[in-house]
Amino acid sequence: MGDELVALGGAFLAAGIVARLGNRIGLPTIPLFMVAGIVFGPHTPGVAFVEDPRELALLASLGLVLLLFYLGLEFTLEDLIGGGRRLVAAGGIYLLLNVGGGLAFSFAVGWGTREALVMAGVVGISSSAIVTKLLVELRRLANPETRLILGIVVVEDLFVALYLAILQPVLSGTQGVAATLTSFGKAFAFLIILGAIARWGSGVVGRLLSSDDDELLTVCFIGLAVLVAGVAEELGVSEAIGAFMIGVVLAESPSAERIKRLVLPLRDAFAAVFFFAFGLSIDVGDVASVAGPIGAAVVLSLILNVAAGLTAARLYRLGPQPAANVGFTILARGEFSLVLAAVAAGAGLDARLSPFVAGYVLVLAIAGPLLASRTTSIARRVPARLISPGGPP
Amino acid sequence: MSERQPTDLEISEVVLPGIGRRYTLPAADGARVVVVVHHSGRRDLYAFPPGASGDEPPASISLTDDQARRLGAVLGGAYFKPAVVADVETVIGSLLIDWVTLRTDSPGTDRSIAELEIRRRTRMTVVAVLRDDETILAPEPNERLRAGDRLVIVGRQEDLGAFLRHVVGSGDG
Repeated sequence: MGDELVALGGAFLAAGIVARLGNRIGLPTIPLFMVAGIVFGPHTPGVAFVEDPRELALLASLGLVLLLFYLGLEFTLEDLIGGGRRLVAAGGIYLLLNVGGGLAFSFAVGWGTREALVMAGVVGISSSAIVTKLLVELRRLANPETRLILGIVVVEDLFVALYLAILQPVLSGTQGVAATLTSFGKAFAFLIILGAIARWGSGVVGRLLSSDDDELLTVCFIGLAVLVAGVAEELGVSEAIGAFMIGVVLAESPSAERIKRLVLPLRDAFAAVFFFAFGLSIDVGDVASVAGPIGAAVVLSLILNVAAGLTAARLYRLGPQPAANVGFTILARGEFSLVLAAVAAGAGLDARLSPFVAGYVLVLAIAGPLLASRTTSIARRVPARLISPGGPP
Repeated sequence: MSERQPTDLEISEVVLPGIGRRYTLPAADGARVVVVVHHSGRRDLYAFPPGASGDEPPASISLTDDQARRLGAVLGGAYFKPAVVADVETVIGSLLIDWVTLRTDSPGTDRSIAELEIRRRTRMTVVAVLRDDETILAPEPNERLRAGDRLVIVGRQEDLGAFLRHVVGSGDG
């Protein structure tokens, strides 16, 4: 037991120290937790706290469950409806460009159909965590485009839920039309049941959980989140979507605000283990061998995000500076890409996928914030005619 | 809502998913103050000087929940009330009591309360007129309003904008 505790403590501390160093130069934490896993993992010379990533598997999947659970807690359709049709259109265009472009790119790389479906999400979906943090840290909350950026992120979150629901049956590799339809049916029945509970039954669930005592509330909601995630996994729907949906259910309950506050430190701790454990499985040599596809995907994402920023700017009649802010802020990739890589690894897809995701996330998680903080000088180089046909508004 | 010219008392509210809510308040001379209330209780204040385009990085500070409440109390005059307060607005439940001062160019100046149809058109009631040293309580409908009159009005908060437009007019002060 002692050596396992040393391994776990070392993992936390290594992740924390590496992320602190990066934080000083303005880098987000998510990729740095992963870097800590790579550096202190079995594939890199030097200290290795954990020889076998499987030792951390249970705690890492707890991190994944809490990540998605929190996302579900924060998710409300009112935010989306309140933003109007233009916001949904902007989010839709962003997804169409980035996930669509990602899908085309992934088929061009030619690692297989199932791999391409995963890569489309990896390349196409931004990191809500990094985007939100960036907006707060760059002090852009008062800017006109901030509502738009956060709206696009909400549309992406909704897409993630549907996408994860579809992905699992596809990845399970069932043969034959009937078997595939059955697993799709199971996935959607699960979504609909939990969706119905969220709509009509959250009062009942809320009363079952509710307690004035923070300790009892914490123990109960953690139990519920992990149990539903596990049942989802057993049904072949993926624990990620199970955790997300139970989060949506509890978001409607009277204790929602308290649960959000209580789960946050737990999520932060175990999500760090999840990112660290992912890093453990990465061999730097493997990342180097897929440097070509990584570079191509990074260039593609840069182009598609600039295109999405310019389109959104036209839709909302924004100037070059807000357009650049939109494009480069939502460029950051992080937790979703890594969650998808973990799902893919679990399904036994092409082994090149994990190092590809590691390299891609690392480059964009660092390049995204750096570019986003320098949009003023970038915007000056954007020709005005790209923004609005009649010159700047 | 957004098509209407905002009066100098209107606050706009925007939900920032995952962060909290954003309130934009007009300040004097066309400046704006933006307050972001985080779910965590943190508040961010952004000050946009007059004529700021909106995408320039403005001055900003952050406050904890306690600090924000104290600032709110100072701004509200809980510690010290200046002697010359043009408008003292008090809200009791949904009831609003406010003082306004008429200017020479106000639409209500030199007209009677009946002519202005204040109650029918704005749903607010003028309960008193303060003129020089004189206080006219419950003024008659034929009372003619003059520049410099201070009107004490009662009504619902949402009707204040209509009253200000109809009787006091736009402009500072």
